[in-house]
Amino acid sequence: MNTITVKLCLGTACYVMGSSHLQDLVDIIPDRFGDRVVIAGHNCLNLCTSNGEHAESPYVKIDDEIISNATIEKVLDHIEKKL
Amino acid sequence: MFIDIDCTQQKKYDQNAYGDYFLSSRNKDTGKLAAVLSDGLGSGIKANILSCMTATMLLKFIEADADIQSVCEIVMNALPVCRVRKISYATFSAFDCNDEGFARIVEEGNPQFVWVREGEVMDAVARVVTSATFPNRHMQIYNIKLELGDRLIFCSDGVTQAGLGSPALKLGLRREGLIEFLLKKLQDQPDISSRDLAKLIVNCAKGNEVDKKARDDISAVSIYCRQPRESLIFTGPPYHADKDNACAYVFKRFTGKKAICGGTTANILARELHIPVEAQILTNAGSLPPVSKMKGVDLVTEGILTLTRACEYLEETEAVTHNDAAGQLVKFFLESDCINFMVGAKLNQAHYDPNMPIEIEIRKNIIKKIAKLLETKYIKTVNIKYI
Ligand code: FES
Repeated sequence: MNTITVKLCLGTACYVMGSSHLQDLVDIIPDRFGDRVVIAGHNCLNLCTSNGEHAESPYVKIDDEIISNATIEKVLDHIEKKL
Repeated sequence: MFIDIDCTQQKKYDQNAYGDYFLSSRNKDTGKLAAVLSDGLGSGIKANILSCMTATMLLKFIEADADIQSVCEIVMNALPVCRVRKISYATFSAFDCNDEGFARIVEEGNPQFVWVREGEVMDAVARVVTSATFPNRHMQIYNIKLELGDRLIFCSDGVTQAGLGSPALKLGLRREGLIEFLLKKLQDQPDISSRDLAKLIVNCAKGNEVDKKARDDISAVSIYCRQPRESLIFTGPPYHADKDNACAYVFKRFTGKKAICGGTTANILARELHIPVEAQILTNAGSLPPVSKMKGVDLVTEGILTLTRACEYLEETEAVTHNDAAGQLVKFFLESDCINFMVGAKLNQAHYDPNMPIEIEIRKNIIKKIAKLLETKYIKTVNIKYI
């Protein structure tokens, strides 16, 4: 069984744009998925400064996939799809 | 030699204002430290005004190196006269010291200071000078040479008279009681900071009072001569990215305590020094991004939000301990004597996006504000270098 890694950006830009609320995922994810999903906070992922496709904080990285304008629902949906 | 100085006070139980007043300052260029503790006649607001005036005037004069004897005359003459008691009065202890340890002390009416060296109380010889205008007031003038490890304790009579009239201490704690307490504490904790020692003395005095109620204003000033504790805070990416490597090595070679404030800064250091930044420990406590871990670095926090909050904590009058990242940063500051900032001047464009829900302060400004507080309110030595 392969595990999924979720990186929650807690850099300044993402934090004020809403990743502070995403920290609830720390409790939600293990409850729902057990140890199949690992979640950790991360310093600025360097996405907030890049233009174009991904210029919308907060960002969450699920394995290599980038989620912009992340919300709890969005993150959970993505995980469901991947599993 | 660094002189660690701090004061703790407790006001009389039924008053709203402190009747004792403490002020201190450190001259950035000469390293000279000046401090005054004054105890105003009576208690409450009247005493507060008398002691505040005395301390403020004395400090200014001492800073200017004026002749201490004439200064004291001026100050005594300037105080307003109490209508009830027909006298004007505020006792004081004034202290100044250069960075080689040559200290001058003038006392008028306050309990005699205590000088401790290697667990023993030292004798200081005073020159007594009587005031020309007030023949009942005598000044004790001391010139002493402090050595590394020495401690001085100044206090108001609220300490030496604590417990006065209680069954256990009919004459109060007295200077003897204070000395006994001090030597015991210093034996248990030889490296205790001035901040903690001053707190212990005030608590001891308060604890000796009947019903633990302070019957007078209680103040304790602690002075500790020691090797300066240096620290370095690296915050913000260098303006020119080609300086990243050189700056990272300056940080690495620094021997004191180290902190990084800023996720991007931490990433740069991790890249240049090949030390991984460990994932942040997630907690739901507090409203700041959590701290990260990096080998060889004492504290790693997010940048601007944490600094802004730390600045707010430093502004608070009562020193409360906060557990979030900013609280840890404040603790880091207060446990250092000489604080060096390396401030990267690069701006993070994302912070000034008009969509940001809050206004983000410019790093340089917030560091300046923190530095000013650390210098003036906490009497630290601060250096800032922009990179
Ligand atoms: S703060 Fe999240 S990508 Fe920069």
